[in-house]
Amino acid sequence: MAWQLATFSAGLLREPEPLQGVNIEIVRHGEPVRLTHVLDAVEPRVRPDGRAAFPTEGKAGEGRTNRLDGVVVFSCLDFLEEERPLHEQESIVDLAGPGAEFTPFARETCVVLTFRPGEGGNQDLEARARRETLALAERLAEPTLEAEPARVETFAMDAGDRSLPRVAAMIQLSDLGPLYYQFVYGTPAGQAGLPRIVDPAELLDGAVTCGEYHWAAMRNPTIFFQRNALVRSLYAEHGKRLSFAGLVLMRGYEQSADDKQRAAEAAAARAQELGADGVVITTDAGGNSHTDVMLTCRACERAGIRTTVILAEETDPESTRPILTDWVPEADSIVSTGNLEELVEEWKPERVLGGDTLLDGTVAANAGPIPVRNYLGAANQMGQLTLGARTE
Amino acid sequence: MKAVHYLNQFFAGLGGEDKAETPPVRLDGPVGPGRGLAAELEDVEIVATIACGDDYFAEHEDEALATLLGYLDEDRPEVLVAGPAFGSGRYGYACGTLAAAAVERDIPSVVAMHPENPGVDAAGTAYVVPAAVNVAGMRDALPRLARVASALAAGRELGTPDEEGYLARGFRRNYFAEKTGAERALDLLLAKLGGETRTEVGGGLDRVEPPAAVLDLSQVLVALVTEAGCVPQGNPDRLPSVRAQGWFRYDLNGEETLSAARYESVHGGFDVTLANEDPNRLVPLDTARELEREGRIGRLHEAFYTTTGNGTPVVTSTRFGREIAGELREAGVGAVLLSGT
Repeated sequence: MAWQLATFSAGLLREPEPLQGVNIEIVRHGEPVRLTHVLDAVEPRVRPDGRAAFPTEGKAGEGRTNRLDGVVVFSCLDFLEEERPLHEQESIVDLAGPGAEFTPFARETCVVLTFRPGEGGNQDLEARARRETLALAERLAEPTLEAEPARVETFAMDAGDRSLPRVAAMIQLSDLGPLYYQFVYGTPAGQAGLPRIVDPAELLDGAVTCGEYHWAAMRNPTIFFQRNALVRSLYAEHGKRLSFAGLVLMRGYEQSADDKQRAAEAAAARAQELGADGVVITTDAGGNSHTDVMLTCRACERAGIRTTVILAEETDPESTRPILTDWVPEADSIVSTGNLEELVEEWKPERVLGGDTLLDGTVAANAGPIPVRNYLGAANQMGQLTLGARTE
Repeated sequence: MKAVHYLNQFFAGLGGEDKAETPPVRLDGPVGPGRGLAAELEDVEIVATIACGDDYFAEHEDEALATLLGYLDEDRPEVLVAGPAFGSGRYGYACGTLAAAAVERDIPSVVAMHPENPGVDAAGTAYVVPAAVNVAGMRDALPRLARVASALAAGRELGTPDEEGYLARGFRRNYFAEKTGAERALDLLLAKLGGETRTEVGGGLDRVEPPAAVLDLSQVLVALVTEAGCVPQGNPDRLPSVRAQGWFRYDLNGEETLSAARYESVHGGFDVTLANEDPNRLVPLDTARELEREGRIGRLHEAFYTTTGNGTPVVTSTRFGREIAGELREAGVGAVLLSGT
């Protein structure tokens, strides 16, 4: 089954219609703006056949989807403190200044939605913000239905060249409870029957959306699944240096030692079903989920599947002891997506959207140097960006 | 700007192996290789050469270091330069040890020696410029040493080891690679499948050896320690929910239980709803008191220790552990119930 992704110019973006309880602003490339309390980032998409762009039923990655190029929809929401079941962490996007180097979004047109707390608790608020953001992203792409695409890409899986190594992607999705889970077809990752094999085109086509608001830098917002660099690189290398064997989605934050071990072995079994010689294992969020990744790495290696793991580091920049949160000796091939503890040079934005005060009470416009940890997706562990850490 | 240059007895012209017992001395201006170095330094003057016999340093390290640091206190240089020590182990060790001690006193320091010289480890976070294994490498080493020394004296921030020609010191620093992490992962995986395993970050864990078991708890003072972010209601000392920079000690004041009215968890890494219904779930004071009454533990320590273990670099947690263990040991505590989350 092939899936087509048609790309349309950002020039088709129209002024969004007002939404009750939401401030909407459009920020153009290069404006000195800081976004705070950012939950998610989404690329505008729509399907000409009328099916949902972010489906909760049926299957993504089939037929055709239109995308608006160079446009990002952000949802910002400062949760009610007294109702916070888990403490979500600060999440910032700088659209100019030194922080802009840590985000791919500064070069795009940003549609920023700031949700105002209304009736209901945090879980209701979150669900509403998530649904309305995805819905708006879909509406913003509607003008593409009457336009000519700039280009059309086709994604299809075939058996490939048998002489090339078969490589699969294993993408971890967090589920640590409300405010801390990713969604697969609208279902929290922990209830989505993971680990499971999906068509890689499903991932690129809105099957996975973000609801995980833990560490900003280690977060994988929806747009990183839609534009997934790992899956796209695997498609691009298919038939050249490797055969793309497929994609396994697996859960992070299994809650007991036994569950962690079982899930790791089940994920390795899925990779075996794909006939993978090697897998790239990605990580979602941090701490506990790093243990899931390490156990999965070990289970794959024991099943004869070679692994490379992608993860971020949390090392005191003044220390010479780079110790990972967890590690197994089988993890002998690791890509580092950066050190979260390093500070990004101070910058004073002219405007702040999303909320003027950060979670720690400081004024967002005058916050001083901010750790990489607080920049949305900056050290994401799917390898979406170029940030890395090296020994100096 | 001023530099002080460290040499051993041989390069300082005090004599060969027969003078290796020479105690520290301070000489005015550059001496021996210092003259060549002085010619390469930019806007930096070598005001003094300090020297010590290699054997004397090895056998009387504390005294030698104290005297040499005393010289630095007098001269107050902007930079300490040491060597080149080439492949000489004793000389390299002295250079590295002095440089590391100078860095502790906020004097930027740079040493030149062979990369396999044991002095490289001794140098800690001082800069080390690579040199050849023997003195034939002097001509190459001096300009490199001078370049780093001049930059340090001027307070200029140094670039990467590759750009500036010093050995990596072990700090993990961010950089922007040419390829995405995903592309780098595929390169690493394909290389590994081809038989060549590489990694961007090494592994290894700080395994803590379990101590010997406590044979008879009924004679032992037991303390409660947690990283669960458990604090008195209202969090009076503002323990952070994440990235804690310290820990707190709270007196139990003879309390029998951690009541929900008086205690809470501010930990930001797990759902605290159940923990806050009954804080004993985090710090089991109620059960510990029972064990104390039954005589199964000798006595409960009068305070509990708490921090938030969430996004904490290992170095920071190691410091917390050392500090808390130090206090507990002084208080005569023989066993700890450590509740983690």
